[in-house]
Amino acid sequence: MPILQTENLVMTYHVGKVDVQALRGVNLSVEKGEFVSIMGHSGSGKSTLLHILGGLLKPTSGKVIVDGEDLAAVGDAQRTDIRRRKIGFVFQRFNLFPTLTAEGNLKLAEHIHGKEGNGNAELRREVLQLLKLENKMKHKPLELSGGEQQRVAIARAVINRPAIILADEPTGNLDSENSDIVLKMLVQLNRDLGQTIVMITHNPEAAGIARRKILMRDGQIVSN
Amino acid sequence: MDSLILANIRQRPTRTLVSVIGVALGVVLILVNTGLVRGMLNDRSRRERGVGAEIIFSRPGANDILSASGLTLDIRYAERIAKIQGVQVASPIGKYLQKGNAGLGFELVDGIDYPSYSAMSGIKIVDGGVFQADNEVIIDAFKARKSNAKVGSEIEVFGKKLKVAGIYSPESGARVKMSLSALQNYMGSPNKCSWIAVKCEDPAKQEEVQKRINAELPGNTVQLMRDLPSFERAIPGIDGFIKTILVLSTIVSSLVILLAMYTTITERTREIGILKSLGASKRFIIGVIEREAITISLIGVGVGLVAALIIGWGIRTATTLQVEFQWTWILVAALIGLAAGVGGSFYPAVRAANQDAVKALSYE
Ligand SMILES: Nc1ncnc2c1ncn2[C@@H]1O[C@H](COP(=O)(O)OP(=O)(O)O)[C@@H](O)[C@H]1O
Ligand SMILES: [Mg+2]
Repeated sequence: MPILQTENLVMTYHVGKVDVQALRGVNLSVEKGEFVSIMGHSGSGKSTLLHILGGLLKPTSGKVIVDGEDLAAVGDAQRTDIRRRKIGFVFQRFNLFPTLTAEGNLKLAEHIHGKEGNGNAELRREVLQLLKLENKMKHKPLELSGGEQQRVAIARAVINRPAIILADEPTGNLDSENSDIVLKMLVQLNRDLGQTIVMITHNPEAAGIARRKILMRDGQIVSN
Repeated sequence: MDSLILANIRQRPTRTLVSVIGVALGVVLILVNTGLVRGMLNDRSRRERGVGAEIIFSRPGANDILSASGLTLDIRYAERIAKIQGVQVASPIGKYLQKGNAGLGFELVDGIDYPSYSAMSGIKIVDGGVFQADNEVIIDAFKARKSNAKVGSEIEVFGKKLKVAGIYSPESGARVKMSLSALQNYMGSPNKCSWIAVKCEDPAKQEEVQKRINAELPGNTVQLMRDLPSFERAIPGIDGFIKTILVLSTIVSSLVILLAMYTTITERTREIGILKSLGASKRFIIGVIEREAITISLIGVGVGLVAALIIGWGIRTATTLQVEFQWTWILVAALIGLAAGVGGSFYPAVRAANQDAVKALSYE
């Protein structure tokens, strides 16, 4: 059974009297342990798809099955709960809490997830080691480089072992050197921890590291 | 979690300071005002007890004997009361109300017949002597200390400079006393007084004495000191005043918290989006904001408490007013401060929790 599956996913935004069709029937299936990249022009509906997959948005119609639960069939509170248990987001803008240290950011994610300071110390060590963040834990985001901030954000996304990591242009704000480092680490997370990853990118090189590439156009998947 | 709340509080020092001051202001308002009322009432009742009388005799319809001013009662009643069985002393007293010396409140002046008054209350001259002339007064030790007066100094009564002939102790009735005849002269009411204080031979039999006075001199008001309406009620409007203070401070504190938290959540829209992306529930987000507000109001309550103590000390030192803090009111003030935190932040918190996650994440 796929860990992530959509069936005929449609998303229409209503802007005043105008309807914007952002997704026009998306069928996607991702197996556990896959690393999928999504490419496509700006406005092709990539972010909208990712937001729906992570339960931040409710689709107009269709199904979104994440690890056995249909996100499209439940209310807002339950979608939030599924997101808490099964999804890790990585954004282009890092989205760390500026007032908290790297460690504070990780702890907050753990706290929200609901396992504060118990048996996941080993996973935590493994993640920090893999992302080379052991010495950065006491720093606040502004004291870190962009690449380091994004690595903290990835650590935060993966620390609770979500079913899927959803990354929206994670290298979009990084120079090529830092992009390479971050991409390598995502590959490592996928390979070493078996972490399922769905990543949006504009960069063909970045897309190249994923084993499976999806291309979107006008709200539809055109190649898979 | 808690570190997020503390970080937020530290992140915006000005906002935190303003909110803390807002809550502290409410606490100070409550504590200082109730403390002043309490202090004034206790001080009055202590001194009224110091008069040493069990029974008060006054004109019919005189309903607020203790603060009544003006001389309307014939002093010859005193001689007649003194002859009634069971009465030890009957002392005529004239009351004059004047504006307080620090421009605050008011101050009473007693006109007394020294021999009978002293026999009844047990006051003694501890320095100087009893008043002899109309322009002489005696004052108690507290008054002497507060107005820096000694035997021979002048103090102002009726807008006139009067001489301090002596200092008496212990406290009893008004702090400034002159001879009843002097007061009568000043007020142009010869042979009149405000009321007659009656001391019984046996305080246990005061009710019988009260009945006898009533029988002997019908048509007047004869009240037992202990039956006098509670002092709280004796000051008109005091209940309404305190209620106004409570409502006012609740509103001030709540509004300050509301405003502070409202600006805060607008500034932190994106952070709320991040919390949502991490799977934080509405309840969690409301909890974060509420706890931040509660922490701020607790600091405000603490600051307000300290400020009230300092202000109370200042008032006691600088004026003749008494300030007495009470645990009940400290508790009320703390609860109001806390309620302001919880209540004032509720709307901003709910608003934050209901934001659209994607929009919040893209907020600049
Ligand atoms: N909140 C929104 N309201 C209205 N239209 C939107 C909104 N978000 C996205 N869109 C529209 O939906 C389409 C897809 O956008 P998006 O999913 O962001 O594409 P991509 O991420 O591929 O650039 C675009 O036409 C965009 O203008
Ligand atoms: Mg996009």
